Amino acid sequence: MELQPIYIQILALVLFTIGLITALARRNVFFVLMGVELALNAVNLSFVGFAKTLPADLSVAGQIVPLFSIAVAAAEACVGLALVILIFRNRESVDSDNYSNMKG
Amino acid sequence: MLALIYFIILAVVAVGAALCVFLSKHPLYGGLSLVLTMLSLAGIYGLLGSPFIGVVQIMVYAGAIMMLLVFVISVLNAAKDNKTPMFDGVSLFVIIGVLALAGLVGFALVLSPMGFDASTLRGSVEMTSSNLFNTAQDGPGYFVLFEVLGLLLLSSMGAAVLMAKKRLGSEIVEDNSDNKEEK
Repeated sequence: MELQPIYIQILALVLFTIGLITALARRNVFFVLMGVELALNAVNLSFVGFAKTLPADLSVAGQIVPLFSIAVAAAEACVGLALVILIFRNRESVDSDNYSNMKG
Repeated sequence: MLALIYFIILAVVAVGAALCVFLSKHPLYGGLSLVLTMLSLAGIYGLLGSPFIGVVQIMVYAGAIMMLLVFVISVLNAAKDNKTPMFDGVSLFVIIGVLALAGLVGFALVLSPMGFDASTLRGSVEMTSSNLFNTAQDGPGYFVLFEVLGLLLLSSMGAAVLMAKKRLGSEIVEDNSDNKEEK
């Protein structure tokens, strides 16, 4: 028994599923943000896991793109939390069902 | 063999902490569980031979992003509706749908042949920096993305400051409360 790449992909899939469920099913808006972060983490893990199955030159991209993905996640968290603060001041609520003021 | 044992330990910790995020009542506990997930994922990166990504993961994710999230949760802790139910009726269908999708993807994943390549480069600091800042004409060109990323972070920081400072003036306060009463 050795460590196989498929185990890493299965772990990434499980984490992505939990993150997606957290983002879609929970009502608290902080859990929505945390679910998105969890899903982004799982995608990074999948990148690195696939990069290790490629030969030398091709495996570079899969180990550099996660750095960009982490930085984009930082920007997303920054703007998302600012939006939450802004809406919280209007609505005094962290329940995402109360944010439906656009009548869409 | 030893790598598999380490991987199983780290994977169990990661999935367990992710389930804690999903099931915890207060967002502060969820945030702390998410930090645990990210730390164990950083361990898996080191195990796979990409220690630089693991270190960046700890510094940026577990250090910066989660600190920001936990700080904002602490600031907004005085919400009136902390006792709202965690799920509603739609959640059941969402969970079933996402689980079915994950089952399909996992089925396709198990069928595909994959194996570790022995000649992959180790994601050390030297490899990462020499590729990331390779400004040669025929190089990979990641440095342009790096510059764009700097602009993205700067603009998102400016946007966050502009959005969060909005109610420092007093006239906007009355404007907002009017809106709330209309609602």
